[in-house]
This record gives sequence, C-alpha cells and structure tokens, in this order.
Amino acid sequence: MGSTKTKQFMAMLKKSLKPCGFISCEERGDCIWVHVERTDLLPMCKTCMATGAVFDSAFVSQNSGKLSNLFTLHYIFRSNELGTLLVVHASGKEFSSLSASTNAAVWDERKIQDLTGMNIVGMTDSRPLIFHPESGYPASNPVGGSVRLKPKSTVYPMQGTEMHGEFEIAVGPVHAGIIEPGHFRFHVLGEQINKMETRMFYLHRGVEKSVEGKTPSDALPLVESISGDESVANCVAFCNAVERSLAIDVPERAEFIRAILMELERIYSHLADLGGMPTDVGFFMSSSRFAALREDMMRLNQQVSGNRFLRGVCTIGGVHRDLDEGTISAISSGMDKFTTRLREIERMTLTSSTFLDRAFSTGTVSARIATDLALVGPGARASGISCDLRKTIPYSVYSRASFNEATEKNGDVLSRFTVKIAEVKESARLIGWLLSNMPEGSLRSKPKTPGKVSERIGIGWAEAPRGGCTFLVELSGDGKIKRMACRTASFRNWRALEKAVLGNIVPDFPLINKSFNLSYAGTDL
Amino acid sequence: MVFESLKFMLDFYPDHVSERSPDSEVREVALLLKQRPLSLFSRSIHVRMVDCGSPNDVELEEGLMMSPRVDAERFGVHFVASPRHADVLLATGPVAQNMRIALIKTYEAMAEPRAVVAAGDGACTGWPFKGSYALAGNGRVDEVLPVDVKVPGNPPSPYQLLAGILKAGMAIDKKRKLQKE
Repeated sequence: MGSTKTKQFMAMLKKSLKPCGFISCEERGDCIWVHVERTDLLPMCKTCMATGAVFDSAFVSQNSGKLSNLFTLHYIFRSNELGTLLVVHASGKEFSSLSASTNAAVWDERKIQDLTGMNIVGMTDSRPLIFHPESGYPASNPVGGSVRLKPKSTVYPMQGTEMHGEFEIAVGPVHAGIIEPGHFRFHVLGEQINKMETRMFYLHRGVEKSVEGKTPSDALPLVESISGDESVANCVAFCNAVERSLAIDVPERAEFIRAILMELERIYSHLADLGGMPTDVGFFMSSSRFAALREDMMRLNQQVSGNRFLRGVCTIGGVHRDLDEGTISAISSGMDKFTTRLREIERMTLTSSTFLDRAFSTGTVSARIATDLALVGPGARASGISCDLRKTIPYSVYSRASFNEATEKNGDVLSRFTVKIAEVKESARLIGWLLSNMPEGSLRSKPKTPGKVSERIGIGWAEAPRGGCTFLVELSGDGKIKRMACRTASFRNWRALEKAVLGNIVPDFPLINKSFNLSYAGTDL
Repeated sequence: MVFESLKFMLDFYPDHVSERSPDSEVREVALLLKQRPLSLFSRSIHVRMVDCGSPNDVELEEGLMMSPRVDAERFGVHFVASPRHADVLLATGPVAQNMRIALIKTYEAMAEPRAVVAAGDGACTGWPFKGSYALAGNGRVDEVLPVDVKVPGNPPSPYQLLAGILKAGMAIDKKRKLQKE
C-alpha cells in the first residue's frame, strides 16, 4: 500500500511536461518526502502543483551539526488524488520565492523571512509580517541564522490606494466587541469598501520557539494554547506528528476518544460563529438561543473531560482519560437534545428576512479566489471546494467513518452559515457512530525509549473547526523537540477576508468577519 | 403555539444564583453580590476588555458570561466599546510585546477611579509562554499595569470571571472613597 502511492507519484511526475530531478523520494509517516537540490526546489514545487496538488504550507528549520549555517525549507502540498501530503524539501542559504508564482504562499514566505532573517529572492511583498517595527525586534532570530533584516523605518508601510476622494478608516488593534486584537485599514469611497488591508500578529507569543528544547509531552499545554477553541485539533495534529516520527501506534479506543473530542470541539466552536452571525445583523432572538446552546455544550465538555475546552485529555501515544458508561450516556443524550434544539433555532433563523436580507450575497468569495489563496475549511467549502481533510487525506478513525462533506456554491455569508449548520449536524451524527462503535482496549501505548536514529521528523494534520492545520515536528536524538512549525487554518484564510469585503459596505464587515470567524491567536502564534 | 414558545423560553432560562447553590463558583458570586449594597448606580460596572495574548479562550468565556445562562447584565456588568466609558479593564494574557503599547494606551484612556482585572493563567503568571522572546517581560499584566484583581484559570469559567469583575467593582468603591476624603 505504502509504496504504491510513491509509484503513482513518480508516474505523475514523469507525465508532467517538465520532469525535474530529485535526490530521493520515499514514503514515510503517511507522507511522500521529496528531497531535492536547492536549485530544483522551485521547479519541483511547480511540477507538484501541475499534477493537481494544492499548496498547504511552507516551513523552515535550521540544520544542525556542521551544516548549521544552512536552512531546510519544506514546501508542503496536499494531493487529493493520492490522498496524501507531498513534502518537498531542500537545504541552502538562500532560496527563490514560490510566492512570485503562487499567491497563496505570500504570508508563509514573509513569515519565514521574519523568523530567519533569510533573504528569499523575488518575493512580491517583502514587508515585515510578524515583528512590528514600532514594538521592537527580538535580540536574535527565532530560527537561527546570522543575518537580521533591520526594519527600514519605525512605521509599518501600509499599501494604500491614494484614489481621489477616498477615505481611510483605521480599526484596531483594540476593537469594540469581545474580540481579539488585529488592525484593519479600510479604504472607502462613500460606503463601499475599495480595499482592505489587515495587519495581524499583535498576539505573537513565540509558540514555535517556546516549545524548542522541551519533551513532546511538556509541549502539549503550549500547543493547546495556540488557539483556544481548536485546542483538541491542534493537540491531535501535534501528537500525530510526534507519533509518526517515532513510529508509535495509538490504540483503537484512544483514536475513537480523540475523534469524539474533536467533533465535540467542532460543535461548540461552530456554535460561536453561528450565534455571532445573527448578533451582527441585530437578530438577538436567534443569537441568544445559540449562546445558551453553546453554554450547555461547554458544560457537557466539562463533564466529559474536566475542562470546558476539552484540554488535557490527548497525549502522545493515546489519551489520559477514559469515557465511562455514565459519560457516554451523557454525551449521547446531550447530542439528542442538541439536535432537536438546533433544528428549531435553524428554522427560526433561516426563515427570518432580518437575517436572510443581510446574509445573502454578502461577502462573496469566488471559487477562483478560494483556489488562488488555497483556502481551507468551511470558508473554502462554502465556495464549492472540497477540502475536508477527514475525507481527502483521512487520519485516525475517519477513513472508516461515513459522513458527508458539506459544500455550498455561492461563497457568501449565507453559504458559510449553512455549511457550518450542516457540519455541526453531521458531527452530532458522527459522535453517535463513534460512541456505538468504540472498541474496548488500552488508552495509551507504552512510550518507546528513543532509539539510536539521530534525528526524526514528522508531519501531522487534522481538520480543526476552522479548517485543516498542519504541524511539522523535528525531534533531536535525546527525544526533545528541535523545531516545531505550525500552520493553522486561520493563517491560510485571513487573506480571503481582504477579498471577501471588496464592494461591500463597511457595516457588513463585522458580519463577514464573523462568518469566517478566524482565530487571531491561531494566526499570530 | 404560545405554550410551545414559553417552553422554549424556559429552555434557556438564566441560572439561579444563590448562596445555597451546589456550585461553589455560583455561591461565591452570590456572596459578593450580597456584600455590595444595592443602591441606585453603585452596582453597575462597565468593562472594557483587551486581549493581550490569550488564545481566545478567555474571550469565549467572556462571551458566555453575557449569554442567557449566566447573564451578567442582570447584575449590572456591561461590556462597553470604548475605554472612555469603562470602569474596569479586563486584560487577558500573557502580554505579547506587540500588544504592550495598545494595552497601556487603553488604560490611559480610562477615567479614574478605575481598576484592572488580570484574567486567566497567562495574565496572572505568563504561563505557558513565560520566558518567550515575544512577550513583554515575563508576560504578566502586573508588569505593565497596576493590577487590582487576579482571576487564575485555564481559562476561568464565566462565574469566576464575574466574581473577579465584582471584586474589581469593590476596589473601585474603595478608590472612590479615598478620592472623596
């Protein structure tokens, strides 16, 4: 099974117009790893994308030992056809930019430039991203390297349009509501938004650097703190990356418990956005019912895991906590009640002209833009793009579970609302299936003593409520983390917001923002 | 039809806050409410929140604090859009370096007497990112601003947050008395 995917990939490479060389190509930890020369990196990436693979993320790590002045750049692609991830990687000091030809990679490369001080040749936008010139830079590069790009000025250069009669509205970082910080700059003509620029990374806490030198189990609280309502998904993706790199098998029962927690998380996380959209159109009848429903789900979470955010259950090699008979019946009765109440609120919201008038055809993201920016999650599915990692690149128990992927065509606020409603219903159904098929068995495989293999690297992914997240974990010989890199769904989808608001009026911005409901902390890391 | 909607209303009725509640967090809130005298404006507390680095969990709990179950508004707690209108600054953390200036500016915009609540483990101790290059100092809010009330928790529940805000209200009462003297 394993080698067939590699063979398929090789055949696809041969078929492509521009065959290019690679040093090695092997299947390891459910991914295909393609090692290339530095000069071949860009052609290989282009060939991968020509075979239909979608850009997923770009990660950088510093080489160790004698080659510590070099970086390794990993470009990761999702291949739905092969049902796996392609990791194209090369070592070097300086790389040519992929973002010059692939719009989706712009933020990834700006981030790499900030973290390493490395010069990526030919970037379309080389402004600083993570570090804010007015707040100061750290003393050394988070990912090594001796060169440091000093800020050219103490003010961040906004792009602007300088059109005649245009007005600029600056919003943030501290917003009016109960929301995280970020800066939005609107360029408006009258009421209509001509251009919007986002400036993020106010919440940059240095997650990737903070986990370095820790053992994987010590790093779990930090990984769970990447984004509050995606704690479980991020934690599972991180655990999967470590488990793949150390070849640890997770017991069946643990996989089922993880999946149940991930679906519970999807439900409460989606309920927050589903309630938020009616709030932003002033339809409080619906939003307070959603909020009450969410509070009840949080109380169920507390009962299931001991934490309202389901934290502290997943661990490397399994789970810490079992679901006993009482908990299982509490979850299934909770799901029944939830489904009936959700149906009632859904009917109330989707038959109300107050809501429909504002949501229909607002904040449209076309399928072309969604492909161009390689969107993930409900944001992409509302534009008709199939990208549910549980289906396309199955992990854990999802390859056996049967469920439908919700997609819509219009790509507007209403589509995102209906996609999320459909996903929540499907999750409730999936939890029922998981509960009834959960096998008996151990909860955690015994931790293996690290072997003699010097360094290991693994990739983990999971479908978080906001979309797929990808983790790269590199372990050193003593079992400590040498480098962790992470790309959450929010990081991928923020730029879609800039496109979605074009042509809409300013008062619709909160609604459009809420329909994506991206995590600021998950973007900023 | 009417009965149906009434039944539906009961389905999201607010929790009963009493000193005999089985939940210790609810009991604490009930005790605090008893301590603060119910006079015309003395109970109302207007809150401005600033997220300085929390992974949006405390924000979600703040949202649920205003939801029908807990309904903090019935005790006079209200979130306002501008720091100019606020009595209490609710800061979550750990404080990221990039948010430091925004946090200080928000505090300076508030009228006196004012109080600061540090909500969550991150704001109280800098956990789990303490020592990171990207934090302002160790990430504690009290390194940047004078903190009156600390609410630990990962994250604190809506009732714990509510108790923290009520305590901050008492701190403001004290400050007001000192001002008058």
